[in-house]
Formats: sequence, C-alpha cells, structure tokens
Amino acid sequence: MSDTAAVEVRNLTKVFALSLRKQYVVAVEDLSLTVNAGEVYGLIGPNGSGKSTTMKVVLGLMAPSKGTTKVFGIDSGDFRSRNAIGFLPENPYFYRHLTGEETLRFYGKLCGLRGRDLKERAAEMLALVDLEGAKDRRLAGYSKGMLQRIGLAQALIQRPRLVVLDEPTAGVDPIGSRKIRDLILKLKEDGISVFLCSHLLEQVQEVCDRVGIIAHGRMRREGRLHDLIAVEDQTEIVLEGASPELLARVRELVEKEGGGAVWRRSGHPRTTLERLFLDLVGTKENEGK
Amino acid sequence: MSETSTTHSGQPSAGGRGPLRAPSFSLGRIWTLATSTFTQLVRMKTFYFLIVFALVVVAVGNLDLLYTAEQKLRVIKNTAFGAMSVFSWLFAIAATAMLLPRDLEDRTLYTILSKPVPRLEYLLGKLGGVMLTIAIALLAMQALFTGVLWVQEKIALADAYADMKAHSNFTEAEIQTRLRMVAEQGVSWGLLSALWAIFLKALVVTSFTLLISTFASSSLFTIIVGVIVFIIGHFHKMAVSYWSSALGEGALAKVFLKPVELIFPDLRLFNIVENIVGGQPVALTALAEMTGLSVLYAAVYTMIGLYLFIDKEF
Repeated sequence: MSDTAAVEVRNLTKVFALSLRKQYVVAVEDLSLTVNAGEVYGLIGPNGSGKSTTMKVVLGLMAPSKGTTKVFGIDSGDFRSRNAIGFLPENPYFYRHLTGEETLRFYGKLCGLRGRDLKERAAEMLALVDLEGAKDRRLAGYSKGMLQRIGLAQALIQRPRLVVLDEPTAGVDPIGSRKIRDLILKLKEDGISVFLCSHLLEQVQEVCDRVGIIAHGRMRREGRLHDLIAVEDQTEIVLEGASPELLARVRELVEKEGGGAVWRRSGHPRTTLERLFLDLVGTKENEGK
Repeated sequence: MSETSTTHSGQPSAGGRGPLRAPSFSLGRIWTLATSTFTQLVRMKTFYFLIVFALVVVAVGNLDLLYTAEQKLRVIKNTAFGAMSVFSWLFAIAATAMLLPRDLEDRTLYTILSKPVPRLEYLLGKLGGVMLTIAIALLAMQALFTGVLWVQEKIALADAYADMKAHSNFTEAEIQTRLRMVAEQGVSWGLLSALWAIFLKALVVTSFTLLISTFASSSLFTIIVGVIVFIIGHFHKMAVSYWSSALGEGALAKVFLKPVELIFPDLRLFNIVENIVGGQPVALTALAEMTGLSVLYAAVYTMIGLYLFIDKEF
C-alpha cells in the first residue's frame, strides 16, 4: 500500500467575502487532517461547521485562502488530482435527460474510459448498486435512493483510489442506508480510501477507522474512533443469563470490596432503533421472497 | 475473461488496473460534454421548431400572390433565411444562458468538475454542444428549404417559358435571358454562403452569451444582457460614428468609445445574407474575412469566459 496520504490538509483556512460589503466569514480556520491510504475517515460536525467547504477544497471546487490540500501528493488545484477521486455529493442530481446507463457512460468517458472497457465497467457498476433493471430509465423517474445509488456508481466508475462521500445516506431509507454502509466497508476491504462527511454519528461510528470532529470551522478532536469513544475510567461487564440473585451478589461485592469503585447501573443492553427496524423489516422482506 | 480480477466493489484487486490517468487536454472529453449537451437540448424538444419552419416555408412556397416568379423565389429565400437567422441567435442566447446556471443549481457541475475535467474543456464542451445543435438544425432547415425552393424554381421556369412562348413576339434570346433571371433567384451554391454566415453569427452570439453566463447570477440576467449585446452589435458602428462626430477626437471620446468598439461584436459583418438572398455573388475573400473575424471573436470571448470561470468557486 502507498505511503502517500490519500488526503493531506495542512493549516487550511477558507474565508468568504460577503458581496458588496467589506465583511468576511471564516468558514474553516487552520484545519489540518490526514486521510491515510486505505482507511475510512469520517469528518463530523453540525450543519455549517465547515465540513462541505473542506470537502470542496479537497475536490478543487474551491481554492484555499491559506494552507494546502493534497490528494495522493498532488495539489487539489491541479485537475490531475481528480484522476484518483470518486465523489458523491449530498442529494446528487445528474442530467435528468440521461438514462442510468447513459449517465455511467458519460462519467466514464470523462475519465477516459472507452469502448468495451467502458461498457463492461458501466454494467459492473449497475450490478453493484442493484440498478440493472432501471438502466434504461431516465433519471427524471428515479427515486432519491436510486439517485444516490447511481451517484455511487458514477463515483466508482474510473476505479478511484479515494472516494469522497458527502452525507451519502441523506434522504435514503434505512435499508438503502445499510446497503451504502456495506458498500463503504467493501471499499475499505478493497484498499480504497474513503473520506466521509456526515452528521449521522451512528453511521460514522460503524464504518470509520478515524474521525475528526469539526465545529465553527475548527478541528475539535481527531483520532482513532476506538480511542475517542472509550470512557477511560469506566469498565463494562456484559453477562448473559445472569439471575437477579447473582447480580445482587456482584453488586454487594462491588460495594463491600470495590476499593472506591462505584456501581453505576445494570439492565438489559439496548439495540439501536435502526437495527431493530432492519431486523423486523428485513426479515419480513425475506419471508415475502 | 479479463485478466484483471475485481473484488466486491468492482475495484481491481492487488496487481489489477489502477485509476486512469487523464491527459492534460482531451478532445474526447470535450466531445463527450458536447454530445451530452446536444442530447440534453434535443430531449428538450428543441427540434419541434423544425415543424413550424417546415409549415412556414411550405406555406410561403404555395402562396399565390401577385408576385413575379423572381419575387416569389426571393420571398421564399427571405422567409427561410429570416427564420433560420432568428432561430439560431434566439436559440444561441436562450440555450446557452440556461446551461451553466442549471448545472450549478442541480450540482451536476460538482460531479463533472470533480472528475479530471479542466474548466476550459467544460466551457468548450458546452459551446460545442450548442453549436452542434444549431448546425444540425440549420442543415435540416437548409435541406427542407432547398427542396421547396428547387420545386418552386422548376415550376417558375416552366411557367415563364410557357408564358413567353404563348406570346410569339419574344425571341429565343429574350426567353433565355428571362429564364436566367428566374434561375438566379433559385437554388445555387451561393446559398450555402448565407447558411455559413448565419452559423458564424450564432457562434459569436453563443460565445458571448457563454461569457456572460460565467459571471451572471441567473439565466434571466444572461438572456437580458445577451439580447442587449445582440442589439448593440447591430447598431454600435452607427452609434460609435454618431458619438465620434458629437464628441470629436478628444481623450473622452477615446476612453468612452474604444471599449464599446472592442467589447461588442460587430454583427453587421453578417449582413451579407441579404446580398446573397438578392442573388448577388459573394467574394471568397469576404467569406474568409467573415470566418476569421468570427473565430477570433469566439476565441476571445471564450478566453475571457475562462478567465472568469477558472477561479470561480462553487
């Protein structure tokens, strides 16, 4: 695997001038981050925190006011850096007059694919995002989830080494959301770097190796997800089939001989609503097939 | 089976093919963008205009007014070239004004520029797409109109010959002169020069509209400014000579008038269409000069557009 970072942002500052007035808005301030080759990096933060601006600078859609951004060692301002990037914007809209297959062929051609290679690659991507049945339909008739999936397919069409995803599951139902998450994990398995911007914390927690938390344009915390979310001074014990008597004895033991340790709580661990929904709906769907 | 093994996400496995390397400049990418723009405009039912055009030309060809044969043929040419000219400049402004703002509004521009596509190629692709649509529409109109004109010319020649033969006081030489006069207003290679002039005018109009749309805030603004520039383009020589005589040769006149002369295209350049419709021959040098100036205008407008577009932030 390459030693060069997939994305390297150094001391990025982005200032916007408000039109016709000498007023400025600092969208991103002195931000640094690195997405290593082959890892999934999540940039999370509230709306207006500077996530999309950072992403646009990485993609070369904006120029930094200060600092540098590089993709696999090439400055983001150089269009050749986009050879390695596949990008899925939030709520993507493509040319509505094109069919699904024409859309993939269009983006493939822009990336230099031609002839049989292009045809095979487009078919492969349609199969990957499960849109083979809708390949001849114009995008004007696609649902939001289908647009998101065709967006993912166009992002992957030229076999990028880095995939940039801006809120990839925005407006997608939980099943579609799960599929996208699975695809991100597959990308990681294949050694593709993923730079993900989202405010859906659970999603980020499930797929990311490292996370950066951004607020008001500044990086607040950055590190390995496992380290960031661990509560250092607490220990969790999960028991299966424990009787109330056993729990009472464990609690008594902690209180008597804990040496300062405090019993915080006990009870049944909770699943997430998303997982419960998927278990129920997914099972019903499978039964119906 | 390809030697490249792929994995779950369709990516090449270790040792497989990596991402493609894009060349710095690619006519292939420009052609891809141009054909996509063409498809977009065609699927917006642009070519329905051709039905209207066909009806107008056929109707004018069959009007039986008190015209001489030459007048009738000239009316057909005037109507057809007038319609072609109006279609081409109106389409050039309206279609071009819509393309960039729509791409930006729909964020399609993000997905295109996040691929290895230089911004110059994006602009050239859009320009090429509009010009391809106009070229095909003009060729279709020209073919239709030439067909109608050819039929009407044959009818006019036969009528004129029969009419003159019926009056026994015309000599053969007089009949031949009359027939030549009628034929001069019929189908000729010179008509292609008029078509070429209309196409070049559309090229200039499209390129300055594209320039406006690189900094305009909306399609409506682009259309309004485009139409204003179009009107000034027809009258600015007249206005400049009027103001020069009013202001004299002073510095004020130079500061005010020179930019007007340089920025706005001189669209009177394309008035040769009227001469061609009148049956007058056009010198090759005049055609070459018109072509050269049009290409120069288009190149300058596209370069200024690129200058404004290259650092534009989305």
